[in-house]
Amino acid sequence: MIQVSAFLPELWLVGTAIVLLLLDLIRGKQQSKDLLYWIAGLGTLGALISLACLNGCCAASACPASGPAQAFAGFLKTDPVALFFKGVILLATLITLVMTFRYFKSHGTYYQAEFLAILLFSASGASALTSAQEIVTLYISLETLTISSYLLASFMKKDKGSNEAGMKYLLLGAFSSALLLLGFSYLYGLTGTTVIVDLAKSLGIQTLSPMLALAVILVIGGLAFKISLAPFHMWTPDVYEGAPTPVTAFLSVVSKTAGFAAFVRLFWVGLSAQAVLPVWVGLFAVLAAMSIILGNLEALAQHNIKRLMGYSSIAQAGYISTGFLAGGQLGLTAVLFYVFVYLFANLGVFLAIVIVSSKTGSDEIADYAGMWKRSPLIGIVLLVGLLSLAGVPPFAGFSGKWYLFGAAVHMGYTWLALVGMVFSVVSLYYYLQVVRQALVADAKDSSPIEMNLLEKAVLLVCVIFTVTLGFWPTPIMNVAQAAATALF
Amino acid sequence: MFPVQVLATIMVPFAAAFGFFHSPTAGPNLLPILTCFILIPNLAAFLIMASPEKWARWISLFSASLELGVAFRVFTLYQTTAAGFQLVEQVPWLNNFGIQYLLGVDGMSTLMVFLVACVYFAGSLISWSISMRVKEYFVLFSLLVGGVAGAYTSLDLFFFFLFYEFAVLPMYLLVGIWGSGRKEYAAMKLTLMLLAGSAFMLVGFLAMYFTSNVHTFDIRVLGDLSQTGFNTDFQNFWFPLLFLGFGVIAAVFPFHTWSPDGYGSAPTAASMLHAGVLKSLGGYSIIRVALPALPLGARHWLPLLVFLTIVNILYAAIVALKQKDFKYVIAYSSVSHCGAILFGICTLQVAGLNGAVIQTLSHGIVAAMTFALVGTVYGKAHTRELAKLGGLGAAMPVLGGLFVAAAMANVGLPGLSGFVGEFLIFLGSYRSGFHGGFDVFQVLFPTAILAIVLTAIYYLRLVQIVFYGPVKDPHIKEEAKDGTFIEILPIAFLLAVSLAVGLYPKPFVDLSNAAIAPLIDHIGGFK
Repeated sequence: MIQVSAFLPELWLVGTAIVLLLLDLIRGKQQSKDLLYWIAGLGTLGALISLACLNGCCAASACPASGPAQAFAGFLKTDPVALFFKGVILLATLITLVMTFRYFKSHGTYYQAEFLAILLFSASGASALTSAQEIVTLYISLETLTISSYLLASFMKKDKGSNEAGMKYLLLGAFSSALLLLGFSYLYGLTGTTVIVDLAKSLGIQTLSPMLALAVILVIGGLAFKISLAPFHMWTPDVYEGAPTPVTAFLSVVSKTAGFAAFVRLFWVGLSAQAVLPVWVGLFAVLAAMSIILGNLEALAQHNIKRLMGYSSIAQAGYISTGFLAGGQLGLTAVLFYVFVYLFANLGVFLAIVIVSSKTGSDEIADYAGMWKRSPLIGIVLLVGLLSLAGVPPFAGFSGKWYLFGAAVHMGYTWLALVGMVFSVVSLYYYLQVVRQALVADAKDSSPIEMNLLEKAVLLVCVIFTVTLGFWPTPIMNVAQAAATALF
Repeated sequence: MFPVQVLATIMVPFAAAFGFFHSPTAGPNLLPILTCFILIPNLAAFLIMASPEKWARWISLFSASLELGVAFRVFTLYQTTAAGFQLVEQVPWLNNFGIQYLLGVDGMSTLMVFLVACVYFAGSLISWSISMRVKEYFVLFSLLVGGVAGAYTSLDLFFFFLFYEFAVLPMYLLVGIWGSGRKEYAAMKLTLMLLAGSAFMLVGFLAMYFTSNVHTFDIRVLGDLSQTGFNTDFQNFWFPLLFLGFGVIAAVFPFHTWSPDGYGSAPTAASMLHAGVLKSLGGYSIIRVALPALPLGARHWLPLLVFLTIVNILYAAIVALKQKDFKYVIAYSSVSHCGAILFGICTLQVAGLNGAVIQTLSHGIVAAMTFALVGTVYGKAHTRELAKLGGLGAAMPVLGGLFVAAAMANVGLPGLSGFVGEFLIFLGSYRSGFHGGFDVFQVLFPTAILAIVLTAIYYLRLVQIVFYGPVKDPHIKEEAKDGTFIEILPIAFLLAVSLAVGLYPKPFVDLSNAAIAPLIDHIGGFK
């Protein structure tokens, strides 16, 4: 029996995307596109609400079948971990829509319906990925996400940067997908199954063979590209800089969250056998340290804020990997919690970037001078968001890092925690450069920056979440822990 | 009319707060007193944000007076005979990681609570002259106090760390926006160095959590573990890292370089709070966390680390002699005094640690007073260059007199607070050295005393150059006026506190001893 509820959020997203395309076809050319944004927003909201229903269903065991909803022979299963990741992805999509509206007001394009539809397709891929219990399903979801992302990155046809971003992303992305597929095929050959739970069973009775090690390395290489872990991070700064800013924001949160969801499912469920565990955990520790070091060091020299955020996101992926490789309940709780707070901090900053650049037409950090005068709210968002990314209390990034590095120390990776903390201080230097421009420097041009009510509300929500979760992370932490417990 | 308004804004909330918590049963039961102590400045920040700009100063003064009332009440509520942690407030916060909202004070933190409130109060008054971005200034100023207030009362390492770093952040903006000179450089240097120190603290705390078999961030429990609660290797590895991590904020050599630049550039009230309160966190945290939890590491490393503190005392004093900027002399003087505090800690004697605690209190009060004076003089003379200053004593006799008093307190003249602390520190180092223990102290004891002479030299030089002698700049003679009511009041207040500690140190030493004596029992000291 197929339980539709197992892919209800994806149905909402895909359905809305199709409605958008059709509606745009029917409506005349001259009509305003604003309606489309409302529909896209409502569709995403519908997906979020369906998620809440699913969550209630899991909690109250009111489901017809016992346990989480599943479909397609259990290939899709919305367990608590999947629900948590889906929540993050859908919230990020909603905020991206707000950004998109603003972005296309200043960088007008005729193809807004197509953009929105592709965005929703992409989100549906990410969403499906989190509940995939089987590697082919996982791969297909991942490609739905990535191929849509190639299109989104190169969406500004007349902009050279956007074209370059799309092309670079496509070539490197296709290469990494090939690596991943190769790794999957080896895994299938070694175990004779594509179901992740059965992988674990089959690998449990195997010893480490060169082929197995190769398969694991290929899978890590393929997936690490998606979350831009060093040394698979080369594409990140260029794509982040060139792509339309809402797409950059979308990639930095949704693509990463989905990538970590795939990692958690595949490695902590499928490859947790004693034979392979030390191989990939050790490898991950090296990748995490490299990302933290390279990402933070390279960010120091940036003067374009989108590029800076690109390098920053590489370092952030390194921090999250620290908790991921520690694993266990504490590690996974830390990963889930951090992804959640990263969402608000990062997207708050990106929304501010979109708003500022729609007014000034520039993404240079120097042009943020005197933001405290032009728009105090944006100044506060930059302060709170960036310092949360740096992990400074009382912002949410701090409690997140406390958990991530706590999990690492717990598993004996004290050196990695030290690397993470020391380079968090390095990161503070470049985050503070932006804060300095925004709050300390005097304005060259002090004309105020206006924004609409929705944008103000979203920025405020980001600030409130980021501040509150810093000293009172309890509610989200409890949800994250419940989800983590369900997996282990 | 204006002085009456100011006095009313001070007296009414002070009396209200003290009176509300007066009954030992009713007040603290209705509202948890230490939570109030943390919330008052933080709520004041939000209130200032929401109200018109012209109210900012008054709200800040009101909340500082309220805070002072609460602090006085904490001071009188603490029972030295019972010792231990009192007024404890405990709420489970994050069950999956053993984090609790845990506040409480022992004798040492009671003194620090008192210090925070005094400097907050004086800083609020001194900030009256701020004229640029007034609202934001007072918001950040209040948040800074909120951070340190939390750090001195938290007994859970998570919240301790949270408040500790939370206090650094407003400092960055205060120095960066309202500072003078190379303010952006100084602000960045200060922030990065302090947070780099705390990076080691954080990992150290996590390591302590997972290595001890009690799995807790409760400072009381970690401090009560047996001496071998952590094995020797662990203690020997983490003690120096924690000592230096905490030491950065106490400006331990060679991590003191943020301090002169930071104080030189910071606006007056920020220097006062930073030198008086935030810097004291370094020594406080070593006594609060590192010593009780890692006693074996302490006994292994302190005879070596003490050399750093000696360099601090002497090197900073010598550098202070050669400064050309008024404020930099005070800044280096503060570094030198903090060296004395850390030196007292290194002796591991009851007298030495008591001296360190009293010196922390005294240095907090006196440094705040001195920075307030420098700031006020700078505001009138418009220069801090010693070459241009001179003969100010005639134009501003009251400020000049107060500065001489502040200089004497810094030098450690009996009757003022500086004497008590330094005397106890040297007593401690004498005992540590002459009881057959570690030879290092026999050498260092006279060396440290040399610092008193140096301090006297550079302070007297300062008094002579700035307040006596001929007037070098005619503009100063024409324009410079003596301090106004609102400028004199905070300085006089701090001087009164310093006198109180100096003339009748018993209640203060009793409080400090209630925390220190059991601690030295636990560690064993150098015998």
